[in-house]
Amino acid sequence: MQKSLKVRALSHILLSLGAITMIFPFIWMLSTSLKDISEVFTFPPTLFGETLKFDNYAAISDRFPFGQFFLNSTKVTTIVVIAQLITGSMAGYAFARLKFRGRDVLFVVYLATLMVPAQVTMIPNFITMSHYGLVDTHASLYLPQMANAFSTFLLRQFFLTIPNSLVDAAKIDGCTPFGIYWRIFLPLCKPALATLSVFVFMGAWNDFMGPLVFINSIEQMTLPLGLASLQGMYGTDWPVLMAGTVVSILPVIVLFLLAQDLFIKGVTLSGLKE
Amino acid sequence: MKRLYTSFLGFVFIISMILAGCSNSSGTETTSSDSGADSNSEDVITLSFMGWEASPLETESVKKGLEQFMAENPGIKVKYTPVPGEQYSSKLLTMMAGNSAPDVFFVYADQYRDLVNREALLELTPKLDEEVALEDFIPSSQSIMDVDGKVYGISSTTVSPVLFYNKKIFDEAGIEYPSSNPAESWTWEEFVDVAEKLTIKEGKDIKQYGAYGLEILGSTTAFLRNNGADFFNEDGSIALNNSEAKESLEAIRKLREDGITPAAQTLENSGMSAPQMLQTGKIGMMIEGSWALQQLATMGFPVGVAPLPKFGSEPSTHGSAHLHSASANTKHPEEAWKLIKFLSSRDYQNQLIKEGLWMPNRVDMYSEEGVKAWHDPKVHPEGFLELNSFFKDAEAYPFVTIQKYVVQDIVSEEFEKYYNGDQNVDDTLSNIDTRVAEELARK
Amino acid sequence: MMLPEKKGTTNKSVVAEPSIIRGKQEIKKGKLTSLFYKDGTWAVIFLLPHLILFLAFMLIPVIASFILSFTSWDMISQIEWVGFGNYVELFNDEIFIEVFWNTIYFTAVSVPVGIFISLILAVALNQKIRGIKFYRVAYFLPVISSMVAVAIIWQWIYNPEYGFLNFMLGIVGIDGPNWLSSQSWSMPAVIVTSIWKGLGFNMLIFLAGLQGIPDSYYEAAELDGASTWAKFRFITVPLLSPTTFFITIMAVINSFQVFDTVYLMTGGGPGRSTSVLVHYLYQNGFEYFRMGYASAMAYVLFFLVFIITLIQFWRQKKNSLY
Repeated sequence: MQKSLKVRALSHILLSLGAITMIFPFIWMLSTSLKDISEVFTFPPTLFGETLKFDNYAAISDRFPFGQFFLNSTKVTTIVVIAQLITGSMAGYAFARLKFRGRDVLFVVYLATLMVPAQVTMIPNFITMSHYGLVDTHASLYLPQMANAFSTFLLRQFFLTIPNSLVDAAKIDGCTPFGIYWRIFLPLCKPALATLSVFVFMGAWNDFMGPLVFINSIEQMTLPLGLASLQGMYGTDWPVLMAGTVVSILPVIVLFLLAQDLFIKGVTLSGLKE
Repeated sequence: MKRLYTSFLGFVFIISMILAGCSNSSGTETTSSDSGADSNSEDVITLSFMGWEASPLETESVKKGLEQFMAENPGIKVKYTPVPGEQYSSKLLTMMAGNSAPDVFFVYADQYRDLVNREALLELTPKLDEEVALEDFIPSSQSIMDVDGKVYGISSTTVSPVLFYNKKIFDEAGIEYPSSNPAESWTWEEFVDVAEKLTIKEGKDIKQYGAYGLEILGSTTAFLRNNGADFFNEDGSIALNNSEAKESLEAIRKLREDGITPAAQTLENSGMSAPQMLQTGKIGMMIEGSWALQQLATMGFPVGVAPLPKFGSEPSTHGSAHLHSASANTKHPEEAWKLIKFLSSRDYQNQLIKEGLWMPNRVDMYSEEGVKAWHDPKVHPEGFLELNSFFKDAEAYPFVTIQKYVVQDIVSEEFEKYYNGDQNVDDTLSNIDTRVAEELARK
Repeated sequence: MMLPEKKGTTNKSVVAEPSIIRGKQEIKKGKLTSLFYKDGTWAVIFLLPHLILFLAFMLIPVIASFILSFTSWDMISQIEWVGFGNYVELFNDEIFIEVFWNTIYFTAVSVPVGIFISLILAVALNQKIRGIKFYRVAYFLPVISSMVAVAIIWQWIYNPEYGFLNFMLGIVGIDGPNWLSSQSWSMPAVIVTSIWKGLGFNMLIFLAGLQGIPDSYYEAAELDGASTWAKFRFITVPLLSPTTFFITIMAVINSFQVFDTVYLMTGGGPGRSTSVLVHYLYQNGFEYFRMGYASAMAYVLFFLVFIITLIQFWRQKKNSLY
């Protein structure tokens, strides 16, 4: 659809204006990460301090074992993302397309678990994990996150949008439910899967409660705990904290951009091969 | 693109597994957090130790201290878990609920009695000896530690609210510094006078405030007490509804009404901490806990310390700090006590006192001999030693001697409403009376 | 041609079928293979991994905390049964009632407004113009930016003396209030910040949903002379309904549990004007040693959200195309 030059220009202008306000905190984070602490809260605010203090980034490792925490976070997050994509899509498919007794009731029960604030499930969670003997291990971090009602719910909704006609055609051709899942639903929901990966990644990468409650050994800790340690009770080292935060955000941005590649507009639904 | 994407994920996954596997040589996959799990030989005991990270400096000192402790005690290994300050309580209580409290841990002074009453802490009274004797501690620390004659935790240090000021701003305004000698401390009127002079207005804008920090609960408490206001009765019931309290509260609020101090939120919402405000000249004087000295000393401007201005005839402040305790269920009470003793040792404390973060809580550390171990002219401003008696003779922070933490929240909330102008002083004090009585009566 | 057994589905749209179907041979089905095609069996297989993890790690704590809500427990001493005592106390607890309404206020405003704006944003960002990727990243950045940084920026914006907002208002002659220190304006201010921060999240989901609507529908509508608004109303919105449903439910669930966003901006003040339920819950649990009471609070919240969700579910079933 060709848009007129006027409409396109207007789009650009409006979008840019909005975009500027949106990126403001991030710009502040970047600028702060390169300043000296005395330059952070000057008024009027400045974009850069006297010099660019790149060693704020190096200083992160002085405060906590950044490399170790980063690796731990990567390990846990990767496991969680892959697992949630698999379990979420399978469960979502079951709830969307398979008919079985108690389906809706079970689904509502799943959803219900999202409605209880973490602060009250924290202690029962800890006690459960202690019984499994998993406290202070990475398993305590990824196992509870490998299946999540959020993913199931999201994919269920997307699976619902796939027309029955396709499913029927596949069944006529002798496709098993698994085949339908694998060859029709998954490929058609690429944007949803991409979006979900970004969210699951974010959730696991930034998970703070889990490591706080379950991890005691410094070697097992993840990035969010490290960043929290930069916020002292008597004063925060803003530049280093922001440097750490910026580094922590980068993988998410990368993932977001990769996910965008899967947003191919207007996937046509005709002429699909089985 | 999907292939690239999946292979990217797979790649990252594999690499991280390899690297994580390599670097995780301590292989703690199956370690439980039960206190005192034995490692290699039967002779080595592992203690779990938990504390919050108030500042990078404190964490450093703890780590160095632990290394030293382990060197001196080859049979004991200490596993340290630092916890972000805000969440410390939830983690500690979660572990206690799950029966896996650490062996040794920090305890907030105002949570201490809550824990003692629930028998969560190991009783240390029989273990006290010449190295750690109750009588050696300054009065405020003693009254915090001592619960009906028994001790369940050793006070780590003491900190008290004091008056900090920016010498440069005083010089510019041609005002004399307040004396560091408590005997010569400012009266309230003198303080207000100076604060007024230091408040610079430009039209509607206030470029520089005279003072800041009086509305923080800790500071307000100090001023009320100094005026002779009671907080609690002997039996622990609230006694705040008195004329002295009213007088002090009104005096503090008047400062805000006259534009001499900003609303706590106005400056807080700019993201600056109080020390930063003092440094940048947004405020001329600040009432803050003595721990701020550690940060202030590194900020590169001439800072001065003075006793709090006095309402009554004598200057005074209050003191408080966290304690080191052991879990009542620890499997290694003897080793735990050794660690606590170490943490209360003068040597260990001196490291942090030198940097300005802590103040001594043993009487002998205030003697002429004693101060040599920790006084550092680069950190402690001129005349700082004159403040010794100010710290030494401080009373315990009233809120640590009561049995329920919620009382502090109630008082704080009501004071805030008063300062913001939403409620008059009589209602404030009577609300506090009623609400606290209700809370204390419950169970 | 023998069609396999189906439960009640009729051939609705044979017209659009690919030509593969015509001329298909008979499909022989034995008993075992019929089991192979039965939905129920597959349901078990598909759900099994999820169910195991769910039961082991999620259901138990949730049930445990529900039981806890009928007890009094200080986490250290013995658990004491109090039956409905906690719930009764809650309904007489002034503070609870206040934070409860605050939370409802917060949700009631931020959810609809936020969803509406994110939808518009998603449509705008669904265009094929140059640099659209960059714009999408930009609008998503607040979601991933640290809440601390966001709080600082917005505190500056709201600052009564030198903040951006009052500056702009001043130009039009309005004397802006002290936003975050005012009992009446603090909550709206926090709501705006919260909406702003969450836009990218829902926008992304809507985008994914929009991707699934074939261009052909829009083209057909245009041929019929439909306006932009009509296209939006009669094609986009209905076809997006599963997505919208998801977003609405999740937004309600998350809004009721809001904590950081508000706390970092105002600490719950001034007074109690921006205190939310989860904060009071946390205080009761971990500062006042009343875990049972805190659990009861959580379940009052839970029941409210649950009922709202059920209502939405029921409406969805009635009205949906799906």
